[in-house]
Amino acid sequence: MVPEPSACGGMVSGTITRVTPRVFRVPAAQHFVVRWRHAALLVVVAALVVGCGGSPAAPGPITLVFKHAKILGPADPVPGLLREFERRHPGVRVQAESLSWNSDDQHQFFVINLEGRGAAFDVMMLDVVWVAEFARAGWLLDLSPWVPPAELTPHFPSTIEPATWNGGVWAMPWLMNVGILYYRADLLARHGLQPPKTWEELVDQVERIRGVERDPRLDGVLWQGRQYEGLTVNALEAIWANGARVFGGDGAIFPEEERAAGGLALLRALIVSGVSPSWVTAADEELSRRHFGDGRAIFLRNWPYAMDLFQASGSPVRGRVGIAPLPGRVGGAVSAASSGGAHLGVDRRTRHPELAAALVRFLAGAEAQKAMALGGALNPTRMALYHDADVVRAHPDFPAIHDLMLHARPRPVTPAYLMVSTTLQPEFSAALVGVKSPRQAIEHARLRLAYLLEGLQ
Amino acid sequence: MTHRVPSSRRARGEARAARLMLAPALIALATLAAWPGLWVLWLSLQRRIPVFGIERFVGLSHYVFLATDPRFWNALKVTLLFTFASVALELLLGVTVALALQGQRRGRRIAVALLLLPWALPSVVTGRMFEWLYHPSAGLLNFLLGGQAINWLGEPILALPALIVADVWRTMPFVALLCYARVLTIAPDIYEAAHVDGAGAVATIRDITLPLLRRVLLIALLFRTLDALRAFDLMFVLTGGGPANTTETLTVYAYRSLFQTLQLGFGAAIGVVVFVLVMLVAWAYLRAMAREEEATA
Repeated sequence: MVPEPSACGGMVSGTITRVTPRVFRVPAAQHFVVRWRHAALLVVVAALVVGCGGSPAAPGPITLVFKHAKILGPADPVPGLLREFERRHPGVRVQAESLSWNSDDQHQFFVINLEGRGAAFDVMMLDVVWVAEFARAGWLLDLSPWVPPAELTPHFPSTIEPATWNGGVWAMPWLMNVGILYYRADLLARHGLQPPKTWEELVDQVERIRGVERDPRLDGVLWQGRQYEGLTVNALEAIWANGARVFGGDGAIFPEEERAAGGLALLRALIVSGVSPSWVTAADEELSRRHFGDGRAIFLRNWPYAMDLFQASGSPVRGRVGIAPLPGRVGGAVSAASSGGAHLGVDRRTRHPELAAALVRFLAGAEAQKAMALGGALNPTRMALYHDADVVRAHPDFPAIHDLMLHARPRPVTPAYLMVSTTLQPEFSAALVGVKSPRQAIEHARLRLAYLLEGLQ
Repeated sequence: MTHRVPSSRRARGEARAARLMLAPALIALATLAAWPGLWVLWLSLQRRIPVFGIERFVGLSHYVFLATDPRFWNALKVTLLFTFASVALELLLGVTVALALQGQRRGRRIAVALLLLPWALPSVVTGRMFEWLYHPSAGLLNFLLGGQAINWLGEPILALPALIVADVWRTMPFVALLCYARVLTIAPDIYEAAHVDGAGAVATIRDITLPLLRRVLLIALLFRTLDALRAFDLMFVLTGGGPANTTETLTVYAYRSLFQTLQLGFGAAIGVVVFVLVMLVAWAYLRAMAREEEATA
């Protein structure tokens, strides 16, 4: 074991204490992230109190640095888990360092530090859509020597595909998200309706309920149509529901072109008919979540985080919200919700690959994920936890969410994901606001993607 | 008289001293501005995508692609529209406010302090504030319009005007204060003479105040145009360039290519285009200012 130069920072590990979670604008798939200014302040204070003088003279402990986004929830379970890991690995310290809550900022931080040659961290929390990109770039350590295939099978299938891109094990699934249809259970019950199975049924229900309620302030279905990652997710779900894909098995782009255009046409029709308010084209997760939370819409497509907020005391819709799978299409495929979430990866230049891999396996393990599910407003990636008695007591909707997650699909798993998504966004947006026809939008998206991907050969 | 150094020798010595004194500034400028600039230019001639291990010289091919790239031409159009509309409105309103301040008898100090407020706010704060003003269901603007649900930031024809209004609100005070400072230095007797000669309020402003403001207006125009050509933060916070790229400026396109998707060479090429655009505009203004100097000299 190589003694680490005991830096001042090593002494303050574990001082990133609980902060009151504040939900700000929530970027796609990053809802568990909050600002960490308060935490940073505490770290500084703690550093001043502890000082640099107390470093041990004997061979210093090994320090692992864990870079992660702030964890949202009533109590952040991460510090406790890291102490437990330290207890099981004497002589090892884990220093947790928080990143900005903004997904773009995190990506930029990792890219700059991984591309530059200074290894400042060992373990990192990655948005699921970055895993293939970072693996392709050679920034991630292949964990297959430590992670047998059987260790991945307890996780939801849609989390495994990104983790095992191109035959390696580049990361382990940690937290998961899935697209959900929230509905106003009280309104549906009053009209004797069951949650809709198809979009056609949903439109019918909206017209029926609004026809009787006669409330001009009650909107039909809300979703995320602003030109950002959330739009990619929503449009993909509509395209999948209509039986189309972005990439075929042979790498063909939009192999079911007509059906893909049909998916976009559905979203456009929701706006034109007034089933969705026109401002969904400017809506992100929080904008749509608040409007539904104020009791002003019948349906909402969002991530699981919204449920806790709807059920909070003082919420106008408390006890009146149900969850269901996203609708499918008549004559199309079954509903397909997009998954999101975070994986844990190891910097390839880490000086302690063995220990870093052990930390990843520990945090992704059943015990740690259970603690995460109980303490944070977070969804684990291990299937069994959704029927665990303790967890279900804390989150009664987990068994229902289990079924949604089981059928969730990852966004295209490709190292060029961010390029693909930012190429698709303006085309999808153009179809939603009527600047292009859905067919034109798909055609233009295909041409641009083809050019882009050809340049990466 | 005898100890006086011949003037030519003295001039040469002074010139040398001047060069020496300028040297640190020039070296600093060269390392801080010219070197990174040249590096970006060099980068724009390469295809460089670190994630895919691509790094090769491609000459002008990024520029050739841009010439036929509809997304680029759209971003250029958005940038120029935004610049023209916001700078024109800022100048118009800025001068009006400066004249109003001039005419005001009491409370000028408070008025100036209030005027400074929007200029002093960080742009991200301004962005968040306008996000709430434009909020479709809970926004002040729609409330004042009688509970409308106007989709300010999600409608292609409204999004860019909405951003222009936010930019005008934020930077008009800069123009107003520059003009106001100039107006304060106009000698009162000029106005008295005009009054004696029977000039009305409109004639006074047209024939005295505005001509005297010309030079300061040119400077304000230069600063504001160069800023607006590089507009980024408002679009980034409020619309992300949407809907349908109707608010995507060149700098937003460059950011997406360079930082978000790590196409370093291609992003650099867009950056170079922005740089050339800014330099052309700056050169045109500086020429106009030089002519102005000659005319008044």
